[in-house]
Amino acid sequence: VGKFVKPGKVVLVLVGCYSGCKSIIVKNIDDGTSDRPYSHALVAGIDCYPRKLTAAMGKKKIAKRSKIKSFVKVYNHSHLMPTRYSVDIPLDRTVINKDVFRGPALKHKTQQEAKVEFEERNKTGKNKWFSQKLRF
Amino acid sequence: MVATKKTKKSLESSNSRLQLVLKRGKDALGYERTLKMIRQGKVKLVILANNCPPLKKSEIEYYTILAKIGVHHYSSNNIELATGCGKYYRVCTLAIIDPGDSDIFRSMPAQTSEK
Repeated sequence: VGKFVKPGKVVLVLVGCYSGCKSIIVKNIDDGTSDRPYSHALVAGIDCYPRKLTAAMGKKKIAKRSKIKSFVKVYNHSHLMPTRYSVDIPLDRTVINKDVFRGPALKHKTQQEAKVEFEERNKTGKNKWFSQKLRF
Repeated sequence: MVATKKTKKSLESSNSRLQLVLKRGKDALGYERTLKMIRQGKVKLVILANNCPPLKKSEIEYYTILAKIGVHHYSSNNIELATGCGKYYRVCTLAIIDPGDSDIFRSMPAQTSEK
């Protein structure tokens, strides 16, 4: 009997403009806070997935098609679907945290940080499932 | 897959165990509440009625696999399950958080069809 909603877990977003997107739990708050009195999690996810690559593509094309657009958002647990996958990307907690949503510049910087980490991980070929678009 | 035909006697015994849990222990009735409790890691056993919609059933089973909880497929429908719980509405999904005095875990896991 365990808690499985933990940092590093891959979850699917079920609701909102990022529904269907795979994301990683960065920070999990089980009991809620005063302004969010429900269990929620800060997730960093992939908005635009890297496109498929083939052997025939040149370097420039590959670079363009491997781009990832990421997002950072706080979700209620009931709006997330946990999966059996987990990804241990070292997402910097000091950069990606809940204060980020105060201003758009800060949020953008955080998304950049997540994007860089995701792209690096995608290049190494590990956690392939995470960088593949969920078809539904 | 062999469908185990539960005799009336065993149904009654699981009913009485359920009633004990509801009286002495803690439970969560209903799909939303069970999911919430599973996410919080509080649940020890999940019971599903046999006419639970298949998508819901798969979803709950997936959650229980993640949380390493047992699932018990009750042999009758949600009306019967609710009657077993002593409720006047229908219960498709039920989570047992704390069994209280009931020996539900000793009996039910033997019949659990865990996938």
